[in-house]
Amino acid sequence: MEVFKADVAIVGAGGAGLRAAIAAVEADPSLSVALISKVYPMRSHTVAAEGGAAGVVRDDDSLDYHFHDTVAGGDWLCDQDVVEYFVAHCAASLTQLEHWGCPWSRKPDGHVNVRAFGGMKVERTWFAADRSGFHMLHTLFQTSIKYPSIRRFDEYFCTDLVVEDGRCQGVVAIEVATGRFTFIQAKAVILATGGAGRVYRENTNGGIVTGDGMSLAYRQGAPLRDMEFMQFHPTCMPGTGLLFTEACRGEGGFLLNKDGYRFLQDYGLGPAEEQPRNKFMELGPRDRLSQAIWHEERKGRTIDTPYGAAVNLDLRHLGRKKLQERLPLICELAEEYMGIDPAQECIPVRPGIHYTMGGIYANLETETPLPGLYAAGECASNGIHGANRLGSNSLVDIIVFGKLAGERAAEYAREVQHSEPTTLAKLAADAEQRALDVVNRTDGSEKHSILRREMGQSMESGCGIYRTADEMQSTCDKLAELRERYGNVNVEDKSTVWNSDWLGALEVGYLLEVAEAVAHSALNRKESRGAHQRLDGFEQRDDANYLKHTLAFHTADGPPRIEYQDVVITRSQPGTRAYGAAGVAEDAQAAQEPAHD
Amino acid sequence: MSAQTDKRHPYRRPMRGWWKRDRYYIRYLAMEATSILIALYALILLFGLLRLGQGEAAFNGWLEALRSAPSVALHVLLLLVFVYHSYSWFKVMPKTLPAIYWRGAKLPQPVITRIGVCAAVIVNLLVIILLTGLQP
Amino acid sequence: MTDGNKIIEMEVLRYRPEQDQEPFYQSYEVPFLDDWSVLQGLQYIKDDLDGTLSFRWSCRMAICGSCGMMINGVPGLGCRSFLRNYYPGKLRVAALEHFPIERDLVVVVDDFMNKLAQIKPYLIPKQVRALDQGEYLQTPRQLEQYRQFSTCINCMLCYAACPQYGMNTDFTGPGILALMHRYNADSRDDGRAQRMELGHADAGVWGCTAVGYCSEVCPKDVDPAHAINQNKMGSAIDYFLRFVKPRGASQ
Repeated sequence: MEVFKADVAIVGAGGAGLRAAIAAVEADPSLSVALISKVYPMRSHTVAAEGGAAGVVRDDDSLDYHFHDTVAGGDWLCDQDVVEYFVAHCAASLTQLEHWGCPWSRKPDGHVNVRAFGGMKVERTWFAADRSGFHMLHTLFQTSIKYPSIRRFDEYFCTDLVVEDGRCQGVVAIEVATGRFTFIQAKAVILATGGAGRVYRENTNGGIVTGDGMSLAYRQGAPLRDMEFMQFHPTCMPGTGLLFTEACRGEGGFLLNKDGYRFLQDYGLGPAEEQPRNKFMELGPRDRLSQAIWHEERKGRTIDTPYGAAVNLDLRHLGRKKLQERLPLICELAEEYMGIDPAQECIPVRPGIHYTMGGIYANLETETPLPGLYAAGECASNGIHGANRLGSNSLVDIIVFGKLAGERAAEYAREVQHSEPTTLAKLAADAEQRALDVVNRTDGSEKHSILRREMGQSMESGCGIYRTADEMQSTCDKLAELRERYGNVNVEDKSTVWNSDWLGALEVGYLLEVAEAVAHSALNRKESRGAHQRLDGFEQRDDANYLKHTLAFHTADGPPRIEYQDVVITRSQPGTRAYGAAGVAEDAQAAQEPAHD
Repeated sequence: MSAQTDKRHPYRRPMRGWWKRDRYYIRYLAMEATSILIALYALILLFGLLRLGQGEAAFNGWLEALRSAPSVALHVLLLLVFVYHSYSWFKVMPKTLPAIYWRGAKLPQPVITRIGVCAAVIVNLLVIILLTGLQP
Repeated sequence: MTDGNKIIEMEVLRYRPEQDQEPFYQSYEVPFLDDWSVLQGLQYIKDDLDGTLSFRWSCRMAICGSCGMMINGVPGLGCRSFLRNYYPGKLRVAALEHFPIERDLVVVVDDFMNKLAQIKPYLIPKQVRALDQGEYLQTPRQLEQYRQFSTCINCMLCYAACPQYGMNTDFTGPGILALMHRYNADSRDDGRAQRMELGHADAGVWGCTAVGYCSEVCPKDVDPAHAINQNKMGSAIDYFLRFVKPRGASQ
């Protein structure tokens, strides 16, 4: 097997991975950094993020506001020390991207412009039209080319981490073009592999968002935290699940039911006003909006589409000029994919899976419990998103914590030495054999595409917007059955060059493990909080018992073992999560009480 | 990285007959071909200059030849070719210019082409008027 | 998977280097719904008919640039072309032209990636600014000078449309030259002279003969032909000015 010796290996070349790579070589240009990605960097799913990235810049805004919006938005399941670090570093991280060329939209005076986003008290979302993630990714990728000590492994698919002497010492990867294995030996490894939205069927995610890194870490004993919190984005294209950014509403779009009524006012988000108002109506948080759409469907006030119930996203009053300037990609999606001119007609939308709030547990320093292993971005659970992520926090998450992970991993790599190469080579060879066993077996009878489909359907029925124990239990049972059947999977394609059948089978293996962590974490949380809402007697938040992170640990041959971990609270005690007029009343009351800090 | 043998064997498709693949390419080649005919007409004019240098009789002979029926037919054909060539030239023109702004908005490329065509028509008309005006 | 009663015949160019001497078309019957993209047709084939078919894809929304392919001979994104537009005729899908075929619809893109790295596709600032000095100021008008050229998704359809690139792969090609122009035209940038060392060469802007098909097939209206051809003017001016000025002209 080919061996490449690096100081730092980074898996995933999206926003977080690229930012980590640049940070590591800037921290120490003598370090060799291996950047491994199963796709060319500019294909990474950061590319599809539309709306923007939060960073406090306005005079009427403050870090404190951003902190409170984030913590309340996360239904107090955020680690507040991490949120404090996060909000303090957002604006500088975004400015850094500007210095690297990111074409942020501007105000007439030449300063960066900001727009409104759901759950945010003041406008603080930096944006590059509605291609913010696209521009961030391409800026980071193109900037990374400046640094010769970043050695890219494009289209290398990771199959395992190599753990020896109690620490992570590298990764084993398949070169997709040849089917050959490479062992990338490293003193520190950063996982930046993104989310796991593909455990569901209808989602906004790209085909590559299959939870690879989560599963790799999980198998090596690192816990997956808060996996029950899967974000449903309220405005997705029926069928494909493609995303219509929250910026549609930030720019003033309305959500209407089949009677043309702005129904959100019936769900504690009103009153309805003509102009968009922060934290009111359409600018409420995603979990609340998705739940409201669910209730509208039960009341029979939604529109029927071949792909299920939908509501209308109304952008007509924004006018063609503004739509073209601020939301060009949205216009393109509506026109090309649905034959709808958003300046003339409403766009039918329905909630779809969008974001994995949970992930590999990582602390404020981006360290996972496995020494030498770091995690950043959507694959990590560092505690900033809690039970519900606010829109525009994830695009900053990846650069704030990507940078930190790069710096911390570089530091760690300077302190430790590579282990005995023969021991590591033996472990890498074992990993190679395990991956080869999947393709080489000839007696399998299960198609992985069928397993993937059944998993997606089961996750939707059991772990949707609203959940009951019975439904979650049957999803857990189904996933156990699928895990069993996965042991009997057959890969049709036995070739070595660009064998995507084989890689697809490995991905289904990752997805099934992550799905089990989601379903069991959900089943065990007997309360309703953020994106985890139950209908079976646990409709309320239960801070006495569940103001805790869920930790799911991999077990040898059964469902995950679930444990709980305290939430870090520094200055915001759990309160009522109120939006609209109720939110204003809540704020007024809080202002009269002595401050918590 | 090629120490191990691999099974890669990328296949390069031949370019033979590429221009037949797409109507766009045929149009492009037709446009290029008009340049050849324009060069041909330049040669005819150049020949006239040569005859002029050889004296009045020679030049008149050349003028006479231009008035022959085949020559007139050739001129009609060349006129059409010229018109097409000029049009295609104006079509490419906006690509060669930096974006032009008019009242804060980018001027669409077809508008630039149309302005070019109009200017060409006006200049041609002026030349014709001027020339016919000079004739007794 | 589908309740649709329409079935389209998709002919897909196959090439498996371990067993095929040259590519050939394989035909599949694909039942589809009206909103299905060509990519969804291919996914149906892969999931339900033939797991050995390989192609790149990810975002499904025309932004990741993975699924460029020849669709009835025209370069297009699989995810943004719709089966209904080809029905009831049959549909031919092949790997992007002008690139070597790695396997099936997957092409070798090393050349593109190398060229991308060569043109210094990053900001080379006039003055380096510290983070606490805040952002560079750039008016919407200045942003507009390069915005369109910054929206290239690297899908390489323009390369499949460019016969000059097909005949001579030394030519830098439309997408990368547009990217070069994107940085040159950025008011914050001062790297034009460095980049145009490549841009002036035969393989640079002068390799383009203004076929213009690149701009036609571009799914993002980047208009690479515009980026390249407006640079010919600058390149020519630079050429003549270098006799009077030691470092060429700058715009």
